[in-house]
Amino acid sequence: MQPVDTAPVNIDKERETWLRRVARIRELTIVLVIVALCIILSFMSSSFLSVDNIVTTILSIVMTAIVSVGMTVALVSGGFDLSVGSVMSMAGVVTGSLALNGVNIWLAAILGLLASLCSGLITGLFIGKVKINPFIMTLGMQGVVQGVAYVVTQGAPLSVTGVPKSFLYLGQGNLLGIPVLIWILAVVVVVSDFIMRRAVVARKVYYIGSNEAAAYLSGIRVSKVKVWIYIFTALLAGIAGILTLSRFSVAAPTAGQGMELQAIAACIIGGASLTGGEGTVLGALLGSVLVGIVNDALVLLNVSVYWQSLVTGFVLIAAVTLDVLTHRKKAN
Amino acid sequence: MKRFNWKSGKKYAAVAAAAASIVLAATGCSTGGGNSSTSSGSTGGSSSAFQGSSSETYYMVTFLSGIEYWKGCFAGMQAAAKDLGVKAVFTGAPQYDINQEVTTMQQVIAKHPAGILVTSINAQAMTPVINQAIAAGIPVISFDSDAPQSKRYAYLGTSNIEAGQKAADYLGQALGGHGEVAVITTPGELNLDQRVQGFKDEMAAKYPGVKVVAVQNGNSDQIKTAQVTSALLQTYPNLAGIFCTEADEGTGAATAVQEAGKTGKVKIVSFDTDKATLNAIKSGQITATVAQGTWNMGFWGLMDLFAIHHNLVHPVANWQQSGVDPVPPEVDTGVTIVTKSNVNAYLQQ
Repeated sequence: MQPVDTAPVNIDKERETWLRRVARIRELTIVLVIVALCIILSFMSSSFLSVDNIVTTILSIVMTAIVSVGMTVALVSGGFDLSVGSVMSMAGVVTGSLALNGVNIWLAAILGLLASLCSGLITGLFIGKVKINPFIMTLGMQGVVQGVAYVVTQGAPLSVTGVPKSFLYLGQGNLLGIPVLIWILAVVVVVSDFIMRRAVVARKVYYIGSNEAAAYLSGIRVSKVKVWIYIFTALLAGIAGILTLSRFSVAAPTAGQGMELQAIAACIIGGASLTGGEGTVLGALLGSVLVGIVNDALVLLNVSVYWQSLVTGFVLIAAVTLDVLTHRKKAN
Repeated sequence: MKRFNWKSGKKYAAVAAAAASIVLAATGCSTGGGNSSTSSGSTGGSSSAFQGSSSETYYMVTFLSGIEYWKGCFAGMQAAAKDLGVKAVFTGAPQYDINQEVTTMQQVIAKHPAGILVTSINAQAMTPVINQAIAAGIPVISFDSDAPQSKRYAYLGTSNIEAGQKAADYLGQALGGHGEVAVITTPGELNLDQRVQGFKDEMAAKYPGVKVVAVQNGNSDQIKTAQVTSALLQTYPNLAGIFCTEADEGTGAATAVQEAGKTGKVKIVSFDTDKATLNAIKSGQITATVAQGTWNMGFWGLMDLFAIHHNLVHPVANWQQSGVDPVPPEVDTGVTIVTKSNVNAYLQQ
């Protein structure tokens, strides 16, 4: 079966611009919402727009944003990955426990990333080649990987002391007055966004998400692309886990709990769709920032803890509704 | 549709399996599995009343079984088990879920152990199953979280309210009686809610100059707590102290305070004595933590169970019939405030 390379080029460009246009519109909407929120909050609290507070808010969402970048790719393909939280915890505890047993921290970090890649590979294989539903597969992997994290730590958070300062610099250092974590996030976002907008494989991901049958028939090796998608998602979750270890010097087996839903929410707010075919890395970042601002506002405005989950849930529903409405407009 | 491509699938699978096993083996070899039961052969020839047999098994039933806190309790129970020559097994519900713990308890009852040490996620929910165990002839003793309406023989633990009070006493004094403080907890967990209540009441009563400006949800998670703490530091620039009702929340708060460059300026009082917290006290990131008498809960709990099981205690003749409790019914195992001055004792454990 020969992949038809020449014929789709024109449709390619047309679809690309069309997709881009919609995505750009969605991102603009989010930017406007963020700006509006910032203005409103700055009136309610004088310290909100200070450089300090802005840096703090962005710092608070670094992990969610990194995981969301990976999650976006999965969402674009029409799937999602519920195991990212567990992979995050596992990467941190594998790295931490190896370091505590005398392994060089950088080697331990590489092994931690390797463990995440294994998880992603297994997930991707079962979803891509054995064709198991992503929900079930990643739900199962969530349990398996979380179990690994618990077994390695015997349930307790590991206090990882005696680690070289160079490693701690990643999670705790400052460069030009801005936390290194934010610089790392910037690099991750820029590189991933570039890949998702330019690389050929990225285009395939969008096609698979828009219409998997058509993508397959046009010669795209869907199963192979899916394997890579879940490897990427797990890789980013692993990076977030190791950075969390560097930030707290503690590897907790529950570090990433709930991260998967936060990431999915951030991505959808940022323009991704649960049905696939849409979403950008920049959108994921913006979605995370919006979630971060809302969380910050809840504390700033002293909203009772019992109301907070209500508010957060409401924001998510509003975002998903906006997503569905725009989707319908597009389809018409 | 396309048939599963065995060749490349096998290749991928082999790579995945090899890589996974390398990583797992590396961590497995270096960490070594934990053993959750202790057995000790009974030394022959001893006629001491306090010698049991290795087939005699006592269970510890918990909720949130994975957390570090129970380790201290179980360590005490294991020490007693070793001294007595019996077996102690740790089990529990992994999650904060009533149904899970009740089910676990029923499964333990089915094994007909020599005794059960249980901490109850919810007093009302656990009372029927505790009574079920006692009706089946298994002595049950509560520790840490009590089920006071049940027929358990004794309760060993800390009053969570008192623990909160001690934290307030320490923090109020450390702040010189005035300042703004915040509390970070996980609302909805009974024992944590009690700590917060004890803290707030004591602060209002003894140190009225100290204002509790916020109570926020840390979700028992470092990352969430760090986010909430940094938001609090922005909202209340004069914040002088933070009370965290849980160890992981303490670690998260300490990191956020450090990131804001306010270590030392904001005093953090955390809870329990996991390694990370103790190290943070040593380094000055956390000012103090509330240590509970967990080891003693486990140790004396098992001692009491053993005594009951072997019918060694006779405060009155035929206590079974007269309904008199053979062992002290309420034992306060106390709290200690751990600071830099005494942290080394806890670290050495």
